[in-house]
Amino acid sequence: MLSRVANLIYWIARYLERAENTARIVEVNAQLVLDLQSRQDADDPRAWEPLVFVTGSDEKFHELYGEKVTERAVIEFMLFDKENPSSVLSCINFARENARCIRDQLSAELWETINTFYLRLKDDDFTRYAQIGAADYLAWIKTQTQLFHGVAEAMIPRTDGWWFYDLGRHLERADNISRILDIKYYMILPSVQAVGSALDMVQWASVLRSCSAFEAFRRSRRGDLDLARVVDYLLRDPAFPRSIRFAITEAEQCLQRIGAGGTRPATASAHELVSQLRLELETTEVKKIIASGLHEYLDSIQTRIEAIHDAVQLAYVTQGAKAA
Amino acid sequence: MSDLFAAYDTDKFYDEMFAAPGRPRPHYQRLFERFGQMDGISDLLARQRTADQTFVNRGVTFTVYSDNKGTEKIFPFDLIPRIIPAHEWTHLEAGLRQRMEALNLFLADIYGEQRILKEGIVPREMVETSKNFRPELVGIPVARSLYVHINGTDLVRDQHGTYRVLEDNLRTPSGVSYVLEDRQVMKRVFPNLIRDYRVRPVETYTSDLLALLLHLAPAHVPEPTVVLLTPGVFNSAYFEHSFLARQMGIEIVEGSDLVVENDKVYMRRTDGLAPVHVIYRRIDDDYLDPTVFNPDSLLGVPGLFEAYRKGNVALCNPIGTGVADDKAMYHYVPRMIKFYLGQDALLPNVETFLSGDEKDMAYILANLEKLVVKSVDEAGGYGMLVGPHSTRAQIEEFRGKIIANPRKFIAQPTLGLSRCPAVCGDVIEGRHIDLRPYILNGQTIKIMPGGLTRVALRKGSLVVNSSQGGGSKDTWVLAADHEDATPAVPEKIIV
Repeated sequence: MLSRVANLIYWIARYLERAENTARIVEVNAQLVLDLQSRQDADDPRAWEPLVFVTGSDEKFHELYGEKVTERAVIEFMLFDKENPSSVLSCINFARENARCIRDQLSAELWETINTFYLRLKDDDFTRYAQIGAADYLAWIKTQTQLFHGVAEAMIPRTDGWWFYDLGRHLERADNISRILDIKYYMILPSVQAVGSALDMVQWASVLRSCSAFEAFRRSRRGDLDLARVVDYLLRDPAFPRSIRFAITEAEQCLQRIGAGGTRPATASAHELVSQLRLELETTEVKKIIASGLHEYLDSIQTRIEAIHDAVQLAYVTQGAKAA
Repeated sequence: MSDLFAAYDTDKFYDEMFAAPGRPRPHYQRLFERFGQMDGISDLLARQRTADQTFVNRGVTFTVYSDNKGTEKIFPFDLIPRIIPAHEWTHLEAGLRQRMEALNLFLADIYGEQRILKEGIVPREMVETSKNFRPELVGIPVARSLYVHINGTDLVRDQHGTYRVLEDNLRTPSGVSYVLEDRQVMKRVFPNLIRDYRVRPVETYTSDLLALLLHLAPAHVPEPTVVLLTPGVFNSAYFEHSFLARQMGIEIVEGSDLVVENDKVYMRRTDGLAPVHVIYRRIDDDYLDPTVFNPDSLLGVPGLFEAYRKGNVALCNPIGTGVADDKAMYHYVPRMIKFYLGQDALLPNVETFLSGDEKDMAYILANLEKLVVKSVDEAGGYGMLVGPHSTRAQIEEFRGKIIANPRKFIAQPTLGLSRCPAVCGDVIEGRHIDLRPYILNGQTIKIMPGGLTRVALRKGSLVVNSSQGGGSKDTWVLAADHEDATPAVPEKIIV
């Protein structure tokens, strides 16, 4: 297929996945704030600060909203702000613009799904969000993105277009999960004595919930909610669809399907990079990761996903290669 | 009999349907009777809603971007078909074929020996000052020696019913997708009427177009690749581009999808660069190659011109055809027909005054309020003055423009364009129409039976362009004038 078209589809999937995970990140924090013991802690500006850090857009946030991190500002920034390219509204807008460019190559239902979503979302703001309530509003966003994925899965033929869609979705998911895991690093009360406390448990439960992983975790792993066990689950579980390893394995399979047509040197590096990462996730030990710094490790995962993305762009989109 | 047409007035214009009020022409008799059996205007309006909804569902729409809502609109479509009897079409077809032959010979000549200039039939200056003339292509051979492949010739009928050529569109004529979609809709809305009328089908157009494009491929390529080059999704004709690409099963590409290496054109695919041999381009010459033409163009492909010049890729239409559809050049087409074919033009032009000519200029300036003045190199109903419908100030503004730049304008008498009944609100009224048939010049000349009938839906308006409030009608060319079969439909199933 045309590289431009493949790239548009790939980004549609990434934007949708990012929007969904942003809603999840906001949701977990909203829950967490409710669980805080004291009113004072809930009003602590630091209660909302971690979100701004994990999305990697803290500079942009402070530029737009100043120093003070309030709930309102964070919600505006992460959900509705068009100046923030990763806000839910921006993501849905970009996805819709991409879909518009290849409308005739998508099914009409797919276009209508994203178009309707955008039109309902575009005038919303914090007031509307507060009116409806965090839980319901964020659930709606998740449902809409899942609706799109559902329609896509039912409508897109399993040719290259689909594999690019699936690749974008899983690379974005692996990146986003690593950021959600990282939230804990920034959370308030990271003092030593808090480890293993009730609050600590609550926080880990929230991290799992934001990935819809709480129940799955309970079923597959017995015992306590603690750092090593939760990280291991979200990082390395082979069967849970929102673990990083699972997402990377899916991405690897997508690349195999895309590459099935021909093997050119430029495509090899994307395959290699993704296979290396998958292999490492399979064999690595979480205890060692924690000992040498979880935050640094998650950072390196994000960098490697970025490198896979660059290799994909080079191999299939910008075409370093000459004509055969 | 209902009174759908009871109040219909032809207002002294040539009317396609009525020879006189209440007296339909023979080829409209059947439609007149069937409409008479309908349940009044409400039946017709219900069918109109069905048609409109069909257009929406089929995505035959253009998007209004200004409101940022992605609102979609359909081009207005009028249900009452324009019917052309077989004998009229035979005449039109012969005239259009003759015109295509002459225009192709003219382009071959001015990009070759330039005999017609040397013999002074067409003033050299007229060609050389045309902004669509490409002197760098003189002497460069083109694929299959075809200098123009697609012409959308605009025809009108004057107050006597005589078909006249209004202009040629030799660059990237649009609208053919509406012809095909209009017919699909009419088949749903008036299936029996279409069958009983024995309307000639238009569906083979896209196969004919694909055959033409394949015919243009460099001879040594066994399985040539054809693509359609579009300016992109924001172009108002994007629907048509994607429609035609899908119908022909070819890729629709944007400039950035193509790349030129060693004077050969490739498209960027996920599995690498794939060679391209024929480009059906829906981009004007000026935007094709930023290294040669408009350097600011982001739509084109750097290096495309050189690949074309070397014959490695064919363009449809070729570069430089616009010199022959310049509205001033139009004036000379009957002389071209005489010069190259030794024949008189079968389809007359509309009387045209060139402001570049001293005598004509004096006439134009003295009669602006009666004339239609057109800019020679603009299309889509832009840059024109309709004298009788203009204010004093508009007329004076044009007077200034014409004096400042005589080569840029032509003037024609305001024609009493023929009218056809159209559904206007909840009544049927006469509206002015024109006709754009599509002529393909490949292995042979092929003319789609019919074409796009555009209708000026604003009361009294003479401007049929979609950008100026125009709509379309289905055009029915009849297979035979004399009925040889009785209707196969029982009487009570109507229309």
